[in-house]
Amino acid sequence: MAARKTERLVNLTILLLSSRRYVPRAKIRETVEAYRDLSDENFNRTFERDKDDLRAMGIPVETGSNERFFDDEPGYRIVRTDFELPPCEFTGEEAMVLGLAATVWQQASVADQTRQALAKLRAAGVDPDPSRLRALAPRLSVREAAFDPLREAMIERQTVRFTYKGGQQRTVQPWRLVLRNSNSYLLAFDCDRQAPRIFKLSRIAGAVSRFGPPDSFVPPDNEALGDYAEQLSIKSDFDVVLAIRSERAPALRRRGELEHSPIELPSGFEAYRVRLNQNNAVAEIASYGPDVIVLEPAELRAAVLAHLRGVLAVHGEARELSETGEQR
Amino acid sequence: MTSQEQVARLLAMVPYLRANPGVGVATAAEAFGITRKQLVADLNVLWMCGLPGGLPDDLIEIDMDAATGEGIIHLSNADYLSRPMRFTADEAVSLLVALQAVAEMTTGPSRAAARSAAEKLSQVTGQQDLIWLSVSTGDDRVRETLAAAIAGHQRVRLTYDGAARGRTTYPEVDPAEIQMRDSIAYLQAWSLERQDWRTYRLDRIVDVVLLEQRGEDHGAAPELPDGWFDNSDGEVTVDLVAEASWVVDYYPARGVVRNPDGSTSVRFAVAEPAWLDALLLRLGDQVLTVTPTGAGEAAAAAARETIERTEILFGAS
Repeated sequence: MAARKTERLVNLTILLLSSRRYVPRAKIRETVEAYRDLSDENFNRTFERDKDDLRAMGIPVETGSNERFFDDEPGYRIVRTDFELPPCEFTGEEAMVLGLAATVWQQASVADQTRQALAKLRAAGVDPDPSRLRALAPRLSVREAAFDPLREAMIERQTVRFTYKGGQQRTVQPWRLVLRNSNSYLLAFDCDRQAPRIFKLSRIAGAVSRFGPPDSFVPPDNEALGDYAEQLSIKSDFDVVLAIRSERAPALRRRGELEHSPIELPSGFEAYRVRLNQNNAVAEIASYGPDVIVLEPAELRAAVLAHLRGVLAVHGEARELSETGEQR
Repeated sequence: MTSQEQVARLLAMVPYLRANPGVGVATAAEAFGITRKQLVADLNVLWMCGLPGGLPDDLIEIDMDAATGEGIIHLSNADYLSRPMRFTADEAVSLLVALQAVAEMTTGPSRAAARSAAEKLSQVTGQQDLIWLSVSTGDDRVRETLAAAIAGHQRVRLTYDGAARGRTTYPEVDPAEIQMRDSIAYLQAWSLERQDWRTYRLDRIVDVVLLEQRGEDHGAAPELPDGWFDNSDGEVTVDLVAEASWVVDYYPARGVVRNPDGSTSVRFAVAEPAWLDALLLRLGDQVLTVTPTGAGEAAAAAARETIERTEILFGAS
C-alpha cells in the first residue's frame, strides 16, 4: 500500500515536472495509472491529498491555466527551476567537511535532515568523504523537548506559546536558537512584554504550541540580533584584586593579570587583578575556599566572609575544629 | 517510514544513480542511510515509475538482476530527473549548524572550507544560520598541536586546569581524538599516569608540548557518553532553598525532587570530593542540609580556614 502511494506520488511529480504547460486534472487522471480506476469522488480526494503531500515536501506544485482569457479547468505544473537544486560546486576540501558535518547531529529528528541534505548533494555529484578528518568527532544533540517545535516554528516564522519557569505563559516570536556551554537558549521577541528576551529551553515546561500563520514576523538583521544576545548574556565588568595560591583556582588566574600586592601575602600566594560578573563574584570566589583571598574591594571581602559564615552555619555547627575535614 | 520520506529519497536517488553508474548496493544504501534491503525495495518501486503513459519505454529502467545478484545498480531512461530537489529549510538550517560545529573544531584550511561551504549552501538555499552554536574549543594553537600530535602518533604533555580539583596539572598523554559533545570540545587521550583513557576539556588545556616519545596504540578512543558524565560511585543529596533551584541546570544531577515547601532535593554523583566542597562553598546558606551527614564538613573546614586567613591579613571584622 505504502509502495503504491510512493509510486503514485513519484509518477505525479514526473508528469508535472515534464510538462511546460499546466496539466489539466482530466489529463492527470488519465495519465497516472493509479488514478485511472478511481471513482470521481475518490479521485478528487486522493489527488487533493497527493498535492498536499508534495507541497509539504517542498515540491512547488503550481496551479494555473494555460488560456489567459478562458475560464477553463485549472491545471498543475512544477516549474523545473523552482524544483531543482541550483548548480553548486564544492571543492574537495569543502566536500570533506560536508561529510563530517553530516555526522554531527545525534538526535534522529535533525540527523534525518542532514542525511537527506547530504543525499541531495551526492545526487548533485558531490562526493563527501570525511575520512581524512577522522581524528575529529563533533557530536551535537539537544536534550530539551522544546527544541524541535521551536526550531520548526522559527524556520516557519510562526508565533509560539509556552509555559516558562513553571507558571508564566509566554507568547513569543522565535528569532534564533543559541547553543552554548551545553545549554540551549531561545532569543525571541516577547509579545507580552514587547521586548526581546532570552529563554532557557530547560525552563520551558510542557508543550510548545504554535499558532497563527507562517511568515507572521520578520526577525531583525543578524547584527541587531547579535547585539541583543550580547546585552542579554552575562558580562564580566567588576574589577577585583585577589590573592591566589600558585597552581590553584586556574579559572580565575587565567582570566586575571598579575599585580603588585598592596599588602604582604602568605608564601605561595600572588595578587591578580580579575574581572568578574558582579552578581556571581561572591559565590565564585567562595568556591575556591582558602586558595583565594579577596584583597580589594573591602566590601567584596566582607561579602565573601559573610557568605562563608553561611557555609559554617549550615555545615560547621556540629564540630568546632577543622581536623575532621582534613582527614578526608 | 512515511510515503513522503520515501518519495523524497527516491527523487534524490534517481539523479544519484544517474551520476554514479554501476554503484554498489551497499555504497548506495550507506549514502542514503538505509539498509540494503530497503534500497532494493526502493529500486522495486522506482522500477514502476516513469513518464506516465503506460508503455514499457516510458518507465525508468533498472537492471534488477544485477542489483539483487551482483549488487550493482544500473539505471537509465530517467532524463527528466537529472538534478536533486532543492533543500527544504529544515535541511539547510540543520546542515548549516553542523558546518558551524566543524568550523569551530577545526583550524586552517578545513575551517576555511567549512565556512565557504556554509556560504555556498546559504546562497543555494536562501537560508541562513538560524541556530547559533558557540563551542568551548579553547585555544586554536592547542587544538592545532593536538591534531598534529594525533596525526603523527606523538606523545604530549598537557598543562591542564582541572576543574574538579581546582588546580593545574601536567599530565603526559597519548592523544587519540578530539570530540565535541553538546557545544563543549574534549580531548580523549590515554593517560600514562592512570594507564587508562581520560577526557580533558579543550578549553582547560592551557598548553601542549610535543614530547620525544612516540605514542603507543591503545585502540579506539571511547565515545563520550550522552548527557552528563556519570561514572562515579559516590552520591550525595543536597536540599536547596527555592532560589537555588537553578543549580540543577548547571550541575550533573542524578535526580531532582521538588518538595511541597518549595525546597528542592537534588542527588549528585560525586567523583571528586573537592568538587562537592567547591559546590557547597559556592552555594553558602542556600543549602539546607546535605546527606549523608558530615559530607559538608570539608567545606566547613575550608570556609573556616579562609575566614582565618583573611582575618590574619586584614584583622578580624
